Amino acid sequence: MVSVPPGPRLRAVAVALGLLVAAGAWLISSAATQARLLRADPNAIAGDRALMAFALPRGGATFATHCAGCHGAKGQGDPTSGAPNLADGDWLYGEGRADEIEQIVAFGIRSHHPKAKDLTEMPAYGSPVPSKTDKVPPLSPPEIGDVTEFLLYLEQRPADQAAAARGSKLFEDRAGCYDCHGRDAHGDAAVGAPNLTDRIWLVGDGSRKAIFNTVAQGLRGVCPAWTKKLSPAAIREVAMYVYSLSHPKPLGRSGAP
Amino acid sequence: MNDPPKDTATRPSDPRGWLDMATVHPARAMILLALGAILGLVIAGVALFTAKGTSTLHVPPEDVALVNQQPISRVDYINNLRALFDTDLAHATAQQRARVLNDMIREELFVQRAAELDVAGVDPAVRTSMVNAIEQQAAADAITSVPSESKLLAYFAAHQARYSSEGTMILRDFVFPSSSATAAAQTAQAIRAGARPVDQIAARRGARDSGRVNGEEFYFAAQIHLGDALFDAARRLPSGGVSSPIGAADGIHVLYMVRNLTPAPLDFASARRQVLEDFRNASGQDLLSGNERFLRQRANILIAKDVR
Repeated sequence: MVSVPPGPRLRAVAVALGLLVAAGAWLISSAATQARLLRADPNAIAGDRALMAFALPRGGATFATHCAGCHGAKGQGDPTSGAPNLADGDWLYGEGRADEIEQIVAFGIRSHHPKAKDLTEMPAYGSPVPSKTDKVPPLSPPEIGDVTEFLLYLEQRPADQAAAARGSKLFEDRAGCYDCHGRDAHGDAAVGAPNLTDRIWLVGDGSRKAIFNTVAQGLRGVCPAWTKKLSPAAIREVAMYVYSLSHPKPLGRSGAP
Repeated sequence: MNDPPKDTATRPSDPRGWLDMATVHPARAMILLALGAILGLVIAGVALFTAKGTSTLHVPPEDVALVNQQPISRVDYINNLRALFDTDLAHATAQQRARVLNDMIREELFVQRAAELDVAGVDPAVRTSMVNAIEQQAAADAITSVPSESKLLAYFAAHQARYSSEGTMILRDFVFPSSSATAAAQTAQAIRAGARPVDQIAARRGARDSGRVNGEEFYFAAQIHLGDALFDAARRLPSGGVSSPIGAADGIHVLYMVRNLTPAPLDFASARRQVLEDFRNASGQDLLSGNERFLRQRANILIAKDVR
């Protein structure tokens, strides 16, 4: 049997073993960080640079695959479809805390998941039955016009004062808008009712016509429940990524466990 | 003279033999074989005891507990802490954490017991909840799907008649006594000929405003207020048009259409939001029907002869 010089072979084996060990170490380290991410208080993760550094690239990739189709590549939303802007700090549900975002990613909005956010919906006042869940009457076109003027007035934009006064009465009385949006029209993040005074519009460009159409046609946005399609880790990672869109500069400690 | 070839298998005592890949070393081979086998067993063991549905002694990081191997989710735990004590994981006291965890374990135990006792078999409320849950679940994927634009366009093209603006009308509805058919006809004729103001023309001949319609109304509202027969006559009138007298239980009606904005077909861009919702609902219904068909196909259903 011919003996082969041991040097090159030994080096190759050593390199292969080294790579194997490095890959194993990386996998173990990654799994440990992921476990730490999952066990952490979601609201405390933003303060942990190591966890954020781990979660954001992964969450960003998941976002690009599953969320960007509706919310846009940078989470800027789509007013034509009613997909909200996730980067502007204006939250339809909750206050934008990481745990709240995670809940929505996991269970969705009107997703048919039992834990989804589905307490109410914007009635379509220009239809015979404006809402399946709330007993509110349909409004006539002039009444919808009055409510529209009132909403313009709330945003301190030019509005027909007499119509706005009639719209205010409808808002606080027969149409029942106050029930979700509050008497001050500042909205209610517990049920997903937006602030109507901040000039941020979920659908359309905020024009008179767009507001009229939204009041007449209603709104019933949906967001899927990802709990059965993404792993718990992926859900948390994407939640942290979404959180980071409106909190771009996390200040926190280093990643010491 | 060449040296005789070395017997590579007979050098176990040579310490270099362990690392010298050019020589055969039976002990090294056996040890590596054993190491490989042990590694394989460890990997299989880890996979076996951490895979879903198998027994495990380890609580996955996404859960806070396992009750008879059923996980209690950390997300739910955090949510319950928030709901019950308005606090988060970092600020919850030990008592608060224990209370929430115990409540969740208790619930899981009772749910498992309910499954053992087949509560769904006897409790109508549980059965209704389960049916609703399955219906919701079956349609969930369709309801939140993001169909391609080409699919939406195809759906729009196939159901274009559905997508039109809601018509509106401003209508006057005058009612004459049932005995005043002639006056009603004369009034309609006069208004048609241009006599104004219409209220005075009608009132002079004994008519009153029915009060059913008031100002501008959507078509659906006018239909509800007028009833089908009067609405059907009204929607055919052009702006400025007058109907012939229409007999009804409360008298003879003459309709004067001040302005009629008939429903106009919407283009795809204007109707897109509604198209998307309709597409999703239709897909959800299809999924639900398919689900039921599948369940019926695989079920063994026997029906008593007398009720077949």
